[in-house]
Amino acid sequence: MFIPSGSSPIKNTTYKVVVPFYGYAALSFLIATILMFLNSDSFTQHYFNAPTLAITHMMALGWGTMIILGASHQLFPVLIEDKLYSDNLAYASFALAGIGIPLLVYAFYQFNFGFMAQVGAILINLAVISYLINLFLSSRISKKVNIHAMFTITAAVWLILTTGLGLLMVFNFHFSLLPENSLHYLNFHAHMGIIGWFLLLILGVGSRLIPMFLISKYENNPLLWKVYYLVNTGLMAFIILAFLGLNHSLFLIPIIFIGVGIALFGSFIYKCYQQRIRKKVDGQVRISMASIVLMLLPIIVMIGVISLLSSMQDTKLVLLYGYTILFGWITAIILGMTFKTLPFIVWNKVYHNIAGLGKTPNPKDLFSSKVFTASIIAYLMGFIIFGIGILLKNILVLQIGTMLLLLTAVLYNLNVFKIIFHQNKLK
Amino acid sequence: MNIETNNEEKLDIALEGLYQVIDPEVDLNIVDLGLVYKIEFFEEAKEIIVTMTLTTRFCPMGESITDATVQSMQQSFPDDKTEIHLTFTPPWDVTMISEAGNEFLRS
Repeated sequence: MFIPSGSSPIKNTTYKVVVPFYGYAALSFLIATILMFLNSDSFTQHYFNAPTLAITHMMALGWGTMIILGASHQLFPVLIEDKLYSDNLAYASFALAGIGIPLLVYAFYQFNFGFMAQVGAILINLAVISYLINLFLSSRISKKVNIHAMFTITAAVWLILTTGLGLLMVFNFHFSLLPENSLHYLNFHAHMGIIGWFLLLILGVGSRLIPMFLISKYENNPLLWKVYYLVNTGLMAFIILAFLGLNHSLFLIPIIFIGVGIALFGSFIYKCYQQRIRKKVDGQVRISMASIVLMLLPIIVMIGVISLLSSMQDTKLVLLYGYTILFGWITAIILGMTFKTLPFIVWNKVYHNIAGLGKTPNPKDLFSSKVFTASIIAYLMGFIIFGIGILLKNILVLQIGTMLLLLTAVLYNLNVFKIIFHQNKLK
Repeated sequence: MNIETNNEEKLDIALEGLYQVIDPEVDLNIVDLGLVYKIEFFEEAKEIIVTMTLTTRFCPMGESITDATVQSMQQSFPDDKTEIHLTFTPPWDVTMISEAGNEFLRS
């Protein structure tokens, strides 16, 4: 590939596609923690209530899914070693989800599954379809479909199954489309989203990025394929068991499959860490690695629920289970990886034309490391205290936890928007 | 570090500038990182061809790194035109990092 001077050789996804997703996700995280602060008492009740439903979807869609969609538009070309098929499909995905999510969340907050929820759910599904088409067409033109890309594509398929079922559930409240009532499908919907979408995607992208950031010599694709099959088999086994309505103790089978998959992934990351060339590991990579340990927490809670209670009816443990997923490993890895991706995207936009001509700031100088550290401390404290609050059903403890999580979101937003609005300092 | 060239004297001048081109993620210069494979000087054509790679294809920082390489070469050789020959054969791996680069990363 010859590159004449003055021309750009590598057509990466434009920052215009990626950055709005990050901004949107940051604001969603803030709104979710404000809603938690205002509705702390809802976490002492059954998990199927209006505020919890709204907060869960704000966290899962507005926070987790939006930031992952944004990052994967940038990172998928790295995984398949080819360019993204279409920026326009990515814009469409952002616009559709960006309108659909608040409609759905607001409707859930009102506990109204009517027109607004239905339109929101349709728009979200259209956004996911745009994303899926973009991934498929990008990987079709690429000759390099590898394990990391397989994780990402499979995760996207689980995502459309999750949002598709969610759409049917919303319509089922009014039109009886499904054989059972919508609550019956909550289990399928939640786990396809958590395991199929979030877990597979984070494993796929993490297995590529974390060794890259550590500059590690360690590679083990056969082990990653084992992780891929274990997690997918576990999820499919879970769906079959749930569909057949079998005894809850049998659910230990998929949990073991998924748990072993996560443990193998943890061993992969540990070996990457041991065989790294770069000795100094920054806070962003450390919190991302800590999120892998946090992945085991909901599994322990679930095993506890099944073995101790032989029932899924203990609502506070089910609530704790969902909380340790959304606010545990998903949030932890996002808090870390945001500052390993967004500063580089913005730095590239601001400085690439003058790189090499003078002393440009380092991408990590685009955000405040003190604010980052403060946000991680607030997050870890808030995460633990709020979790204890759920177990104790104590509103005061829950409120202290939400204040710390709200503080985390405020600090995170300060840093994210500091990066997004960064101006060229060398002018 | 083993960079092929047809002009050792000019290579030294080029390297002075290229040691200032930093991969922002690794915080290490592209020479010690092992990204530069070959620099050829064509006196009559007033042209320089830098054969180099990136740590990964579609590296998000790739555009900045190649732009910075061109700009550094134009500063070192203002009368010559620089072209980048981007190759992934052989693909970059960690064994291409120089001893000095390894020491920096271990520190």
